[in-house]
Amino acid sequence: MSGILGLYAFDELWSVSRFVYYGLMGLQHRGQEYSSITTWMDGNLYTKTSKGLVEDGFRESSISKLKGYVGCGCVSTGKELEQPITASKNGLTLILYVSGGLIDADFHGLARLLLDEIGKSDIEQAGLSILERFKGGYSFVCITSDGRMLAARDSLGIKPLCVGGLGFDLAVLASESSALDVIGADLSRDIEPGEVFVIEKFDVRRGITNSGRRAYCSFEYVYYARPDSIINCIHVYDVRRRIGHILSEMDPVEADVVIGVPETAIPFAMAYSRTAGIPVEMGFYRTGRSMRTAIRPTELERLMGVQLKLNPIKAAIRGRKVVLIDDSVVRGTTLRNTVYLLRRKGAKEVHVRIGSPAIKARCPYGTAVPPEDELIGRALTSEEIAEVIGADSFSYLPVDRLVEAIGLRKDSLCLGCFTGVYPDLGGG
Amino acid sequence: MKVLLVGDGSREHAIAEALARSVKEPKIYALMHLINPGIAKVCEQSYGGYRRGSPIDPIQVANYAEELNVDFVFIGPEEPLFHGVADEVERRGIGCIGAHRAVAEVEMSKAYMRRLMWKYEIPGRLRFKSFKNVEDAIAYISEYAESLAIKPARQAGGKGVKVIADVQVYLSKEKREVKAKHAERVVKEHMRGYVDIEDRVLLEEKVEGPEYTLQCFSDGETILPMPLVQDNKHAYEDDLGPETGGMGSICGKGLILPFITMEEYSRSVEIVKKMVEAVQKETGELYRGVIAGQMMLTDKWGPTIIEMYSRFGQPEGENILPLLETDMVEICEAIIERKLSKVKLEFREKATVVKCIAPLGYPDRRDLARGHPIVVDEEAIARRGGKLFWSSVDTVDGMLVTGGSRACEIYAEADSIEEASEIAERCIPYVKLLDGWRLFHRSDIGTPRLLEKRRVLAELVREIYQYREKKGILGRTIDWIPGRGKIEL
Repeated sequence: MSGILGLYAFDELWSVSRFVYYGLMGLQHRGQEYSSITTWMDGNLYTKTSKGLVEDGFRESSISKLKGYVGCGCVSTGKELEQPITASKNGLTLILYVSGGLIDADFHGLARLLLDEIGKSDIEQAGLSILERFKGGYSFVCITSDGRMLAARDSLGIKPLCVGGLGFDLAVLASESSALDVIGADLSRDIEPGEVFVIEKFDVRRGITNSGRRAYCSFEYVYYARPDSIINCIHVYDVRRRIGHILSEMDPVEADVVIGVPETAIPFAMAYSRTAGIPVEMGFYRTGRSMRTAIRPTELERLMGVQLKLNPIKAAIRGRKVVLIDDSVVRGTTLRNTVYLLRRKGAKEVHVRIGSPAIKARCPYGTAVPPEDELIGRALTSEEIAEVIGADSFSYLPVDRLVEAIGLRKDSLCLGCFTGVYPDLGGG
Repeated sequence: MKVLLVGDGSREHAIAEALARSVKEPKIYALMHLINPGIAKVCEQSYGGYRRGSPIDPIQVANYAEELNVDFVFIGPEEPLFHGVADEVERRGIGCIGAHRAVAEVEMSKAYMRRLMWKYEIPGRLRFKSFKNVEDAIAYISEYAESLAIKPARQAGGKGVKVIADVQVYLSKEKREVKAKHAERVVKEHMRGYVDIEDRVLLEEKVEGPEYTLQCFSDGETILPMPLVQDNKHAYEDDLGPETGGMGSICGKGLILPFITMEEYSRSVEIVKKMVEAVQKETGELYRGVIAGQMMLTDKWGPTIIEMYSRFGQPEGENILPLLETDMVEICEAIIERKLSKVKLEFREKATVVKCIAPLGYPDRRDLARGHPIVVDEEAIARRGGKLFWSSVDTVDGMLVTGGSRACEIYAEADSIEEASEIAERCIPYVKLLDGWRLFHRSDIGTPRLLEKRRVLAELVREIYQYREKKGILGRTIDWIPGRGKIEL
């Protein structure tokens, strides 16, 4: 999983590396294992890739070494520094950053073919032929060594990508609008499914290849995206509020307090509380910095993350019946740990509500979902899960209610990880 | 009757056609730097004529007018006004539509315009600092991190304006560097050769909101306002890209735009009237000709002056001149005789859209945009309900070549802006370059999505300026500096 960013200054006076750096911080929630920035100036490409958070990977001196008025980059999960993906041919180099996954192909192949096509035809035609050829859920942004920027979104729009501008000076492409907010740019619109967006020295062009079908990733709304982002014209925060509202109506419980697992589930908990009339409390306090535990690569890291992140506040839970809200359950191990922590601090009852449907299948579009035999939602019923994690009750958000909360038609969403049915693969 | 038109842009093309519609059937003559085929055609069809020359040369213009014995001269662009062409024409006893050099200063010197606004306490004024040398400007920029508009102190063909929001402290270093470098560039490039004013760089507080242009006729006593027009300054779609002289403009049915209220229109008219009164008082000269406020609805003031035009906007003029029902010659005569109060301005009730078409390279590399052979199928455009205005093109040995700026414009009218935009879009493919060089335009101008965006922005700033008005702090800048106390700037 990754977050990508591209930035083009129309005036050569600008040095954009610091804008890319802060923009990537605005996408940090999409990948915390490594980050990479490439800039371009006068035919030269400057790349730096570092492990860890953006803040840790780039010091002042390395930012100022990345010269130029064109730049792009990514934040990513995964232990290996796989990005950027580069391709070179006949003196032209392509630097590509991607978010997502391909069906029956890899991004190195995509980059090579894209470079070939750029050599043969108009750059936006090259981009369009790539979108038509490669199935999958992905968005990418790339720079060529002759200083052109090309960004594209898969023809079903599975992965998000948006564009905005900062005054008369910069155009910004990003996985989420949160990156634009951080650098002070205004969101113009989503890049459409099947759209290619090209920025050159004297022109901004677009091309589109699309059958009208859409399959926006629903997991973005539940977990991935920042709550302050707007994706496909929908405010992520609004969706999370509606989810909390639906959860409270679905399986009402008599409880004294609602607690959201930080940080993604907080909006669910607040909306749940308002609808149910049960007060919401701050149930946990964090040790160390903000971390997205679900996307940590190893079990040990995830558990460490949860234990550090979630120190229960005893005064908020002792002797009380607790509704605990989390955004999703993958293996159930961290949730079991969380419920255990609450019990140890004196919670009288713990009722677990999940803001998404049971995760039952892999994601072919780059989201790291563990093997199917590790998915608790595939193996066990809700009653069994309640037993395993030690909760008084446990329930998911049904798939149809998630669709309702997002507010789009079911056939314009990808719900593959919940249903095993994928937009361009059929049943699986 | 004979009229001499000065200028060669799309604005002058529209003025020529408006004059030609007069019942007085004037013969129209033109003095042009580049031979605009649209204007040339109007001249020929009215049994007038045209000549290649320098529109900014007062002697040349006045001599041509005398030679032809015209009834009056109409000056289209601003530079001839700055060079005193109107003064010279009138000195020879010929009537002239176009402001005298002294009063055209409201456009020529942006520093003068701001000083005037503060001196006469005209609403819609912004805080500013003008600098006579670049070192002082850079020293100021380095000291204060502020959101600024950096402008050449003189009108420089609409070029050289940079607006930088300096809000995020973590990006301030880069922004200060760009501000300083741009200030230097303004002095070295944009102001180079302009010795008619002392100020070099203007720093102005940055404001945000939907822009619009209010164009008016003035005879020195009466101001007759016209319907509002909105231009789109970004080069590329979705409001991206560098600032241009305008990539296209819209005009609603009636006086106002869909996102500006009637009250805001009236306030804007009051502001332009006060500007005219102020500049007349200051100079002791009458303002006769066209005056326009390039305005913005801001959270600070509501209607706010960004710049003043001493002429029709381009492309804004082309949105409303085709709708003008009142006889243009009658208006001109009334301006010359100071009887504008007796004229009733009437426009056909239509929404209009103008879309500009430019060769790649515009706006920053006009050398690349220049010299490309261009053809237009005007009949096909007419069949689809549109109309062509020629802009930056020249006629060389009977061939049309691009002049480096926006080459031409498609005009369309309908009952709504959205419909007019669709008509214009259908006409765009009939403009072509013959050498394979690419043209670009903005297909989003006048679309429901862009109109909605403007409406949302207007609504946002309207709420804030109305709150400020209620609180009695409209237009004021009040701050608290720890250790120093409350200050008002």
